[in-house]
Amino acid sequence: MNESKTDFGPGLGEVFGPSHADGGPDLVQLLTPEGERVEHPDFSFDLDDEAIKGLYRDMFLSRRIDTEATALQRHGELGIWAQMLGQEAAQIGSGRALRPQDFVFPTYREHGVAYCRDVDPLRLLGLFRGVDQGGWDPNENNFGLYTIVIGAQTLHAVGYAMGLQRDGVVGTGDSDRDAAVVAYFGDGASSQGDVNEAFIFAASYNSPVVFFCQNNQWAISEPIERQSRIPLYQRALGFGFPGVRVDGNDVLACYAVTQAALKRAHEGSGPTLVEAYTYRMGAHTTTDDPTRYRLSSDLERWKLKDPIARVKVYLTRNGIVDQHFFAELDDEAEKLGEHLRAGCKALPEPNILDIFDHVYAEQTDELAIQQAGYAAYLDTFEGSPAGGGH
Amino acid sequence: MAVNEYKLPDVGEGLTEAEIVAWKVKVGDTIKVNDIVVEIETAKSLVELPSPYAGTITALLVSEGDTVAVGTPMISISSGDPADVVPTAAPTAASGAGDKGAAKSEPVEADGEEPMKTLVGYGPRATDAKRRTRKAGASAASVEGAAAHLQLQGAFTPGGEPVDVVEGDEPAVPATPAAHVADEGSVKVLAKPPVRKLAKDLGIDLRSVTPSGPNGTITRADIEGFTAGADTSAQQVETAGDPALAGGMARSGERETREPIKGIRKMMAQAMVDSAFSAPHVTEWITIDVTKTMRYVDKLKAHRDFRDVRVSPLLVVAKAVCLAIRRTPEINATWDGAAQEVVFKHYVNLGIAAATPRGLVVPNIKDADQMSMQQLGSSINALAGTAREGKTQPAEMAGGSFTITNVGVFGVDAGTPIINPGESAILCFGAVRKQPWVHKGKIKSRDITTLALSFDHRLVDGEKGSRFLADVAAILEDPASAMLY
Amino acid sequence: MAKITLAKGLNAGLRAAMEADPKVLIMGEDVGKLGGVFRITDGLQKDFGEERVIDTPLAESGILGTAVGLAMRGYRPVCEIQFDGFVYPAYDQIVSQVAKIHFRSQGKLKMPIVIRIPFGGGIGAVEHHSESPEAQFAHTPGLKVVACSNPVDGYWMIQQAIKCDDPVVFLEPKRQYHADKAELDESATPAPLFTSRVLREGTDVTLLTYGPMVKTCMRSAEAAAGEGKSIEVIDMRTLSPLDMGPVHESVRKTGRVVIAHEAHINLGMGSEIAARISEECFYSLEAPVIRVGSFDTPYPPSRIEEEYLPDLERVLDAVDRSLAF
Repeated sequence: MNESKTDFGPGLGEVFGPSHADGGPDLVQLLTPEGERVEHPDFSFDLDDEAIKGLYRDMFLSRRIDTEATALQRHGELGIWAQMLGQEAAQIGSGRALRPQDFVFPTYREHGVAYCRDVDPLRLLGLFRGVDQGGWDPNENNFGLYTIVIGAQTLHAVGYAMGLQRDGVVGTGDSDRDAAVVAYFGDGASSQGDVNEAFIFAASYNSPVVFFCQNNQWAISEPIERQSRIPLYQRALGFGFPGVRVDGNDVLACYAVTQAALKRAHEGSGPTLVEAYTYRMGAHTTTDDPTRYRLSSDLERWKLKDPIARVKVYLTRNGIVDQHFFAELDDEAEKLGEHLRAGCKALPEPNILDIFDHVYAEQTDELAIQQAGYAAYLDTFEGSPAGGGH
Repeated sequence: MAVNEYKLPDVGEGLTEAEIVAWKVKVGDTIKVNDIVVEIETAKSLVELPSPYAGTITALLVSEGDTVAVGTPMISISSGDPADVVPTAAPTAASGAGDKGAAKSEPVEADGEEPMKTLVGYGPRATDAKRRTRKAGASAASVEGAAAHLQLQGAFTPGGEPVDVVEGDEPAVPATPAAHVADEGSVKVLAKPPVRKLAKDLGIDLRSVTPSGPNGTITRADIEGFTAGADTSAQQVETAGDPALAGGMARSGERETREPIKGIRKMMAQAMVDSAFSAPHVTEWITIDVTKTMRYVDKLKAHRDFRDVRVSPLLVVAKAVCLAIRRTPEINATWDGAAQEVVFKHYVNLGIAAATPRGLVVPNIKDADQMSMQQLGSSINALAGTAREGKTQPAEMAGGSFTITNVGVFGVDAGTPIINPGESAILCFGAVRKQPWVHKGKIKSRDITTLALSFDHRLVDGEKGSRFLADVAAILEDPASAMLY
Repeated sequence: MAKITLAKGLNAGLRAAMEADPKVLIMGEDVGKLGGVFRITDGLQKDFGEERVIDTPLAESGILGTAVGLAMRGYRPVCEIQFDGFVYPAYDQIVSQVAKIHFRSQGKLKMPIVIRIPFGGGIGAVEHHSESPEAQFAHTPGLKVVACSNPVDGYWMIQQAIKCDDPVVFLEPKRQYHADKAELDESATPAPLFTSRVLREGTDVTLLTYGPMVKTCMRSAEAAAGEGKSIEVIDMRTLSPLDMGPVHESVRKTGRVVIAHEAHINLGMGSEIAARISEECFYSLEAPVIRVGSFDTPYPPSRIEEEYLPDLERVLDAVDRSLAF
């Protein structure tokens, strides 16, 4: 945005180009915005067209989840929603490359990855509705709870990976056993100390982590140029491990690159930084107003690179699907929408007396007394039954 | 057929209101869920709102250009499906307790300034300034008590050791301090800080006070009941001399001990000063042969009416005083300088000075003149017992009209007693002692005692004082003469 | 049995914990080859290997953050923060993550992490090496906080903290590491972790303390005895949760309380303890609860630290003030 030269460093657009640039020469791409397959010397997408149809469906439905949740916020059913519009390819592509035994540490925007991990999208809504702080069991889906503190989860991811190493499930050669961790984070997070410490620890211990950075160009209103003077994927070299930039709107490339990075991790070769070069088509969250800090021309340019559209073009032009396929998907999306709308309103309300139960694994007397005291207090009022089962 | 209303939501900016910019639908249109129905402008951003409901638009409830508060119904949509849910535009999710009702993001400020926007979440909620209704019988205090908060120790044991009474005597100094004294290191007294301070200021040892507060605590009233009150009279009685009881910590090996002037000592001093320097005191005394009284006392002791009553010469003195007052009512009156009146009382509230370790207390027997001998005896006993236990109430010490002070228990003959403020005379009754006396012309060993009367010379002159004293003496010399009254 | 220092007691306790459970890990700066700057982890890497005794990069947040991940994977990390003043880079991971994960996951994820922190002053160190940050952690729900004061407690409490399924901030009085020795009976049954203990009985004043001030308070009680004052000394041992039972019992006996700690008086642990005592023992108090701590300034240069920290005289001055009521 800021094109002028000042004494406070080079103009933000001058370092490596404004965000409408093509992502540079190192960008790994296997499907162009126009829907054409292309090859890359280091990466290839080896699955068949059925798989691509599946990826399309995944992206289409995950976008619908995102749209529905945004609408629910506008209906007043959610306090806030962090939209992932435009990042479907990065999330579905990387998500589908995971093996079941791999573990994911998301931020708070990885609704597409949650979808890949079979987390019921309803479970995501609780956090944003304010009825819970994470409605799924991380160990059931190998998908961590959403983390609001920027970048904190990348350290957790490295710690988990260190645990995998000690469990002997890295570098065994058995593809059903070898496990890795994917740590998702954004371009803004790459400035956080914790993320940099995570890089250090992962490199130092050669831990099986894929650092998957969705560079969607914006951290609320701060552009990537404010976060980094060097393309993000090149940071990795500074820490001592490889980095690669992939077209974040190309689901085939995201799949392939993530698969390769996971292979490195599984076999014990350590961490990789994957920078998925994409764009945050929506606002940071439903409370944000991007028109205040970015040009609509930017948005228009990126619309032309839409991740779902290019796959649709590929599928239709090559006669892989017919209209029936899309109509069925529309139906499925409708049903998904209804499921979300009805399910959201039916999410159980939290009970104030329950909050005392899980502060500790081993409850303290003081807390038990406080809880009992409050239950007794509530019981003195008309119209309110004393808490649930205390 | 349900008609649903879509109320203006808080789109997450801590919104309190928005302007309707443009309707995207009109009445009669059929829409699906999430079709954009309206564009609103919040503080500086435009937001398109998708419909939560499917159906036919039946009414646009607000107009373009209107500024509308969050929660206002904007549009009503009629659905063909009766199972459509009732609108819940503003989430009640976060409102917590059931009876708070639907939470709305109502504007909090009234001055028209732009409200502070929140970056995330629902934004601030207005709250009611009203209390919640409590169930009948519930109170804050009982609720708090219900929690395992109160862990007060077991009840402090009230009452005290049984007291040895000096043989044969009436309200006298108990041989040992009246109250329970805790051992060092055992359970200590329970009292809140202000009560402790009060006790300290009054020089009261809390260990001597019987607690009547909840859970064995000593209350302010317990302290007040224990004190001597404002009115004391007669000699300053030395306490047992236990420095601990005086409230300070004894230091051994020093040549002086200082005790602060406070508490009963202070009040008694004040009373003495007030009395001594306002009423001109005259003291007269008479020494008499009370052998007949002593025999009479023996007879009373054997009388069945006095089975449960401790009889002593003091009882006879008390009766004599009540009778003699009839002939000299001034003795029982009060000098009211402020009103410039003398108040003649038609009752005798007979005070008996009692020495306790706390100091002097002078409880009085109300309407002593109306009592039978037996009632009078019982009352004196009761008064003495209460005084010994330190439980004399302020009411018992107020309103006296005449006081008897019994210095005889100390073996003292007579004195110059100071009148109890508010009264006009005080009778000092000395020891009854066998002495040689001229009886029927011969020297015999008789029971002899001295009576000393101090009176307020403003309203009792020498004649009246003498007459009163002589009357009392006469009854004591010959109890049968009481029949003449 | 031999007498051991606190350092040796902690070392032995760590060793016992490592032997008992293969999931126990030790991690921190210089804990492996060097055995820790205070030698608390001396010899452990040699015997248990680099995978279990982990020398970490110089990054406190990294230490705690990776500990979270390890805990999620089923390990029981014992993190060492090299000095109290250096816990702050890790503070966010501790209070935003470690403390809250069990709660936010509604019990699905446990955080059995021990955070060992040498704390307190009196070793003549430069800045940031003599802090007493315990109140900040005790004020954080989801954490448990304990402070040992002597070698025997050190030996037992570290093992108990490691066994606890909740995160425990484990404070070690560094001035005691290589100081007083005590006999350790490894066959004894230790008191439960979250309990306070009467160290010395008395009747006139209750003196509450923990960590490095325990020694000062015991000495104060001795000196007071010479003046005919009988002081009951209680080692709080656990700061969150507090074990107030023995404290209330003592206060009801003596009626007077002094609380002593190295931490600043303002909003130190004494404040919470005093508030609870006044709520529970109101009718027993002959005097207000009096707190003794260091002044409300940053820690000064070490040449005046002994004046800065509360000493025997300041403790007894408070005792005398209490007795004067």
